[in-house]
Amino acid sequence: MSRADARTISGVPLARFGLAWWLAFGAAAGGVVLLGVAIAVLLWRGTGVWGTNIPYVWGFDLINYVWWIGVANAASLFAVILVLRRHGLRTAVNRFAEAAALAAVVAAALYPILHLGRPWLFHWVFPYPATTQFWPQFRSTLIWDFWGITSHVLVTGLFWTIGLIPDLATMRERAAARGRRVLALAYGIGALGWRGSMAHWARHQLAYRLVAALLLPLLLAAQTVVALEFATTVMPDWHQARLPLHVVVTGLPSGLGVVLALAALLREGLGLHREIDDGDMRLLSRLTAAAATACLWIYAEELLFGLVLEGPETRAAMAIRAFGTYAAIYWAAVVLTALLPLLLWSDRIGLGAWTAVPIGLLAAAGVWLDRFSLVVAGAERSNLPLPRPPYGPSGWEWGLFLGTIALFALLMLVFARLVPVVSMYEMRHEEAESPAA
Amino acid sequence: MTDTPPDRREVLRLAAASLALAAAGCDSGPDEFGHPLHGAAEGGGEAASFATVLELGGLGRGVLVRRRGGHAIKLEGNPDHPASLGATDVFAEAAVLSLHDPARSRRVREGGRPRPPAALDAALASVRAELLPRGGAGLLLVTGPIASPTTARLIRAVLQDFPAARWQQHDPLADDAGLEGATRAFGQPVATLPDFALARCVLALGADPLGPGPAQLRLARDWSHARAEGRDRGDLPVLMVAEATPTLTGARADRRLAMREVEPFTRAIATALRVPGLADTGTHPEAAPVAKALLRAGEAAVVLAGPSQPVAVQALAHAINATLGSTVMRHVEPPFARPGPMGDSALAAALAAGAVTHLLVLGVNPAGTAPALRGTMAQRPFSLHLGAHVDETAHLCRWHAPLAHELEGWGDTRAFDGTAAIRQPATTPLVPEARGLDDVLAALLGLAERGEALVRATWQASWGEAGFEPRWRAALEAGVVEGTESPALRPALRADWDPGPPAPPPSGLLAIFAPDPHLLDGRFAENAWLQELPRPLTKTAWGNAVLVAPADAAALGLTAGDEVLVELAGRSLKAPVLPLPAQPSGCVTLPLGGGREAGGEVGTARGFDAALLRDPASPWAAGPVTLRRTGQRAAIIATQTGMPADPPPVLAPGESIPPRAPGPSLYPGWTYEGQAWGMAIDLDSCIGCNACAIACQAENNTPVVGPQEVARGREMHWLRIDLHQAEDHTIFQPVPCMHCEKAPCEVVCPVNATVHDDQGLNLMVYPRCIGTRTCSNNCPYKVRRFNWFDYARSEGGLALRNPDVPVRPRGVIEKCTYCQHRIATARTQARLEGRPVRDGEVETACQRACPTQAITFGDVNDPASAVSRAKEEGRNYALLGELDTRPRTTYLARIAPGDTGSAG
Repeated sequence: MSRADARTISGVPLARFGLAWWLAFGAAAGGVVLLGVAIAVLLWRGTGVWGTNIPYVWGFDLINYVWWIGVANAASLFAVILVLRRHGLRTAVNRFAEAAALAAVVAAALYPILHLGRPWLFHWVFPYPATTQFWPQFRSTLIWDFWGITSHVLVTGLFWTIGLIPDLATMRERAAARGRRVLALAYGIGALGWRGSMAHWARHQLAYRLVAALLLPLLLAAQTVVALEFATTVMPDWHQARLPLHVVVTGLPSGLGVVLALAALLREGLGLHREIDDGDMRLLSRLTAAAATACLWIYAEELLFGLVLEGPETRAAMAIRAFGTYAAIYWAAVVLTALLPLLLWSDRIGLGAWTAVPIGLLAAAGVWLDRFSLVVAGAERSNLPLPRPPYGPSGWEWGLFLGTIALFALLMLVFARLVPVVSMYEMRHEEAESPAA
Repeated sequence: MTDTPPDRREVLRLAAASLALAAAGCDSGPDEFGHPLHGAAEGGGEAASFATVLELGGLGRGVLVRRRGGHAIKLEGNPDHPASLGATDVFAEAAVLSLHDPARSRRVREGGRPRPPAALDAALASVRAELLPRGGAGLLLVTGPIASPTTARLIRAVLQDFPAARWQQHDPLADDAGLEGATRAFGQPVATLPDFALARCVLALGADPLGPGPAQLRLARDWSHARAEGRDRGDLPVLMVAEATPTLTGARADRRLAMREVEPFTRAIATALRVPGLADTGTHPEAAPVAKALLRAGEAAVVLAGPSQPVAVQALAHAINATLGSTVMRHVEPPFARPGPMGDSALAAALAAGAVTHLLVLGVNPAGTAPALRGTMAQRPFSLHLGAHVDETAHLCRWHAPLAHELEGWGDTRAFDGTAAIRQPATTPLVPEARGLDDVLAALLGLAERGEALVRATWQASWGEAGFEPRWRAALEAGVVEGTESPALRPALRADWDPGPPAPPPSGLLAIFAPDPHLLDGRFAENAWLQELPRPLTKTAWGNAVLVAPADAAALGLTAGDEVLVELAGRSLKAPVLPLPAQPSGCVTLPLGGGREAGGEVGTARGFDAALLRDPASPWAAGPVTLRRTGQRAAIIATQTGMPADPPPVLAPGESIPPRAPGPSLYPGWTYEGQAWGMAIDLDSCIGCNACAIACQAENNTPVVGPQEVARGREMHWLRIDLHQAEDHTIFQPVPCMHCEKAPCEVVCPVNATVHDDQGLNLMVYPRCIGTRTCSNNCPYKVRRFNWFDYARSEGGLALRNPDVPVRPRGVIEKCTYCQHRIATARTQARLEGRPVRDGEVETACQRACPTQAITFGDVNDPASAVSRAKEEGRNYALLGELDTRPRTTYLARIAPGDTGSAG
């Protein structure tokens, strides 16, 4: 019965969670404490606690930023495509894909502020009539990026919230039925007075699809703007028109890999085998594999253009990136993002939780390495090729990175605990329409 | 008044104006020390400039001291002084830091414990009472090389009062062999002064005339002027160098012959030139072309032998010069009061001879620079060390007294050419208990006079009473005593000048000891500016390394940063190695000056102490030395870890670089109505001496960041010098901010913190900067520096800072401003006088310091200005011109070496 299925899903947040959840929660909370310490040390002592220098002025700050944006974008992109195509799979995985996107955006949004030499002045990039009579420098890509990340946070949040409204109403009813009034009130506020009328449903569908359509160009724009921060500089490796395409396309395996891993984990961990079935997993695996295939083309194109067709400065910079100090990172990125996920074309690997999870996470790690290669190795050959002391991340940079991963995990765990992981109303709808029901 | 309330900027302007008025009204000015004569009228009391003199190796270089609030904050060269000509070297620039060094010794000490200064006076009085009856037997005075007329007069008086006493000058880098060689050649001690303005062909044999030394500024200026004239005439003078350890002179040589020993080569040249009186002949494959080049220049040729060369090379150089009839080489009496051996072996002999009961070590640190002598210095019944720091010698002596800094006290000295100058205090005394060398001698003599009175007495004796005061004042004002240069000698070459070839060095690897370019023998190890300034030819800072030829390194399986155990004659130490292409194989260079034991927080244990391996008997070369890998890595701190891939252009004489037409730009241009500032840096003149880099640091309050931060690549120098070294040439390229017309840094700053002004300066607005560092990413020249930590506040030493230049907080970018504050000062002055700013009125700190005047600065809008004329030269090119950033700083390309007579 469809009612019974929806109840198992809604029962997940309301049921008592097992030891595994608490252990995971404890680990993530510990990681968030580490994040707090890393931020406190950074604010107290200065940017110097990182391993950055001249010319490697950016390190983990920008690497992690670009990476998290990529994770968020690919996860959102996945959810948006599902919404717009009214795909059957979205019933199962879109909700946590959206949640993963939101958590990733929150993690990403920390970095543009923390990477500043004087983070407490970050509001100077806001366009407001300041007493200094200065406006931001609108020609700066960092200002474009400010608009990019702000829009991204707002629209991703909106997308996720709108999708959640009917389910929050269901949660409100269930909590009220169990006599948990405070919880019911909290869900009720989030449900915005949803009563499930036909007019509500019609407007909800319209709003949901509208925001989804809005998000689609924005996702491309956000990644592109991040890429422009590099592409508009005079640095020979960065100053290439294909960089936005590179960043957008190589961002896909990270988000899809994370969603794939999360789906597999939820499926195994919460026993949602029926809600996230083999068809869902197959599609997700194949999307990841397809993204990897696209990456393979991108890397091939990059090497062809960068090493053969570009001007001498760019060729030299590209050669240093692929064969210089940080060559291992470049090639590890190629293997992990473009080659390893190709295994997911095989059902045996793509459907097995213990193969899909590591491959998904390794794809995400591969994209992180790609960002490392871009931000650090891309700066190795500047216009004046002066051999300089190399960049190496400091412990506090690792703390910040692990801390944001923990923040992401914590948000996902709390999300799994407090809101329905899979859309209930979609499940009901899906099952009502399915011939088997 | 209008009805509208004043806006924020107006309020700030008014507030600032009233604060300035209040400050001006309250400040009655600092107490005066010394005579603010030189240029006093120019800037008024606060910005007064004092002429005085600093010593290096006992010889003076004239400086002008700029003072604020009673503190010396910046030194510049005294244009009237023959050893400065307006330029400074790294040591003079760093002197203000040594003056303000918080680690300076501040108390008189006995047995390490502070004592009142009167206790030392009493002790000196009792020493006098004890020694007088026995004629001073057992008294040994150890000083640095003394050229000062007053100190010399006082020492003579001491030796008169105590006839049995002895006086030994000590300088571990002294040119003892040169003195012996001159005595051998001419029968008397003679100092040689090459006049590079006349030289057409110079051969330096292990000599480094363009490198650090008391005559560096003069020789470099003359060399660059001769070169400039040669460029104009199309007939460049030739500089040839034969040496082992790479030097600045070698780097600028038209032809550098890297060789382990110079003697056989020199003898071969002498043979080829048929120098009479040769005890032995020699051959060398490179000798014939070099001899030919010397012969062609004839009397305009000169051969110089460096202090590290054996007596035979010194004598050969004199003989070759005599044979060539060289008029370039002037011979004068040595400027020192008592020329004689001053090296470690001379001091060792003095310490060993007789029973030294009273040891006075004044202003030198032999225990630090010659560790071999530590044993013989300790345990004397009475010993006194006078020094700026509680150093290794202070620890060995019973008494220690703080030495007044040269800028704090009175004195006099002579330059390399004998010109005397009077040293006057130019700062508030920062260590009340400090005393000068003359004061200690006067106390030993039982005199009541101190300081100024002692110096006056010397000059009164020389000038007489009549007209003394005006003369004295004129000497103080000008910073030189007119007409005191040493008269020329015309010594004749003795017949048996040639001591014959020295014993050949032992086979195997030869260890060569060389002074560190910035720390010398370690005497400047306590100066953080000099420690942090990258060495010209290795780009290392805060430490040293064994310099090895790449071939030898490969044979021993060593790479840069490998730690080796260096063993020499039973002594050993651990040190990192650095392969250097310019190092000839068969020898390794052990730079002195590192690894001090008691060098304070700044100087202790920076690198290794090569002096531990140095034998006083053969101080410059010894062998065989063995290098054994320990398997450990010892990081070498360097700001440039290899050679850049694209060296600057080198032009054939007469060749020119076609000017580049500006490309299209998205942004509209700007018409500069008034001045438009620009700079030209002549790479053909630059000798890589680093004076500009450290002058910039002193002028612009650039913080010291320390070894860990430099190792991470975070040094703050606004002006770096890129080193381009290839097989056949070395090019130093000073790189300050280019002040691009189309500055890439400006458009990427999200908060408008870096902007263009109406005179074309690319400015940093520090309070506006939020530290995204994007500007640095987009700076093709990578000249922007970031305050990763709160360097300025953690540094302290506020009294040293230039109040015209703001101190930068943590988290902001900073960079070269073209000394914008100097432009502002000149503009204000010009407006007050109702005239335009004159060409040459604004001198940037780097430009002022440069000994070869390689840097020209001025208004590029004025076609008659020096900088406009420089940029009109065919050699003018923009760095990374293809990016079309249209930099205001451009370079004048190096001219390829002319014909040096070499076959290859």
